[in-house]
Amino acid sequence: MGYVLEVAQAALALALAPGLAGLIRWLKARLQNRRGAPVWQPYWELAKLFQKEVVVSSNASWLFRAAPFIVFASTTAVTFLVPILAVPLPFDGLGDLLVVVYLLLLSTFFLSLGGLDPGSPFGGMGASREMTVAALAEPTVALAIFALALAAGSTNLGQIVARTMADPGAFLSPGHLLAFGALFIVTLAETGRLPIDNPATHLELTMIHEAMVLEYSGRYLALIEWAAAVKLFIFFALLGNLFIPWGVSVVLTPTTVAVAVASLLVKLVVLAAVVAVLETRIAKLRLFRVPELLSVSFVLALLAVTSSFLLK
Amino acid sequence: MDSLFSQLSVLGSSLVLLFGLILLWRRGISAYVGAFAAQSMVLSAVIAIVGYFGNDHELYWVAGTLFLLKGLVIPRLLRRMERRFAVEREMEPYVNTASSLVVSGLLVLFGYMVTRPLVGLSQLPTRAGMPLAMGLVLVSLFVVISRKKALTQVIGFLMLENGLALLAVLGTYGIPLIVELGVALDVLMGFLVMQIFVYRIHETFESIDVEQLNRLRY
Repeated sequence: MGYVLEVAQAALALALAPGLAGLIRWLKARLQNRRGAPVWQPYWELAKLFQKEVVVSSNASWLFRAAPFIVFASTTAVTFLVPILAVPLPFDGLGDLLVVVYLLLLSTFFLSLGGLDPGSPFGGMGASREMTVAALAEPTVALAIFALALAAGSTNLGQIVARTMADPGAFLSPGHLLAFGALFIVTLAETGRLPIDNPATHLELTMIHEAMVLEYSGRYLALIEWAAAVKLFIFFALLGNLFIPWGVSVVLTPTTVAVAVASLLVKLVVLAAVVAVLETRIAKLRLFRVPELLSVSFVLALLAVTSSFLLK
Repeated sequence: MDSLFSQLSVLGSSLVLLFGLILLWRRGISAYVGAFAAQSMVLSAVIAIVGYFGNDHELYWVAGTLFLLKGLVIPRLLRRMERRFAVEREMEPYVNTASSLVVSGLLVLFGYMVTRPLVGLSQLPTRAGMPLAMGLVLVSLFVVISRKKALTQVIGFLMLENGLALLAVLGTYGIPLIVELGVALDVLMGFLVMQIFVYRIHETFESIDVEQLNRLRY
């Protein structure tokens, strides 16, 4: 039963992720008085890209072809480990938060390698920037979740969720709130949203994600874009379920799973709305100020860990 | 009841500390003034909460004066100064933003360390917030020594005072009203004196960069 659920939640993540990206785009367009593409537009884009011919630079090695699959596979693997619908999951024993963090980093790493491989100047630029951001963001993700793990006494994501549900008062503890702030900033950085990266264009000199994938086309590009959407979904699910765990099903009955799906959708829509409003209100940061923002989130995470460690 | 009280006080203290960190992160003076005003308002809320749960009604008066003085009057004076010196942004502090933030994180850790015996002694439900107040004191001191613009230093000093007030109210449920009034008056006078200084510095050097004061040696 647990394994069915495990597969179901991964499938749900893969299926919903492009829609989530589309929802943010649509909300943003509406907020800016544009009509906007429909929410399901990313699905058509993916379908179209999968049918398109692949053009590969003659300088590219096998790595260029392998990278999209590794990126997609490692991101998909994370969807099995993150509590999306229910806790505890049968795969909880396979990987805790450290595995999640490193799988995400693995996909970032191979994406940058894929960007470097064809030797185009933009790819190199994008890869170097992505590594700068990742080097600052990745420890913060781990540290922010550690703050919760300390309170729960386990690095297991499922147990963290279960523990926060058992003690609703913990929700307002400073460690919890600071960690939420830190993880939210990092989410923006990791998924290439404003103010760190502009997801709407690949015509900017300061782009990060788009610069790396500039050489990709056809089904490779489709896989990378899909993986990027899944990554956004994973971070939103982490934000929603680790910090506000209500709704996640603990006992497996059809009702609780239905409640879990509904509450997940509500959380995703709320977070998408927050991100859309934020992206409408703020401008992109200058690249050299990005480390400052990320060090803010690092300090938040550090304070979160300190306070949950010392207030125990 | 007690756990709610201690959670609220810790939450308030963390907010007060966070507004202090804005001084190290942002560059515009207007962000600093906004952060100071918000910090003072949260601080007066914490004092009022302590007054409510600790059954000390004098603290309401303290919270009220603090709210008026630091939440409204001083920010307004600061904004007036800011209009005049708005072009002066904190562009090149002695310590850059990213390292300042890391240093401030370490300072808060240090605050936890030095208040450990205090927290161990105290039986009050508010004791968990004391390290954060100490952290704010240290961070504001760091702001004063690492920033170049006189106005930033003034705001850093005012935040230092906020940190001390928070520490006092968390550690001892507040000081008597008369002392608090004296301190408030002191802060106001100190602020006015500093304001005059800032204007004088600006008049002499046409900048509020305190590094310029080095030129006085020659």
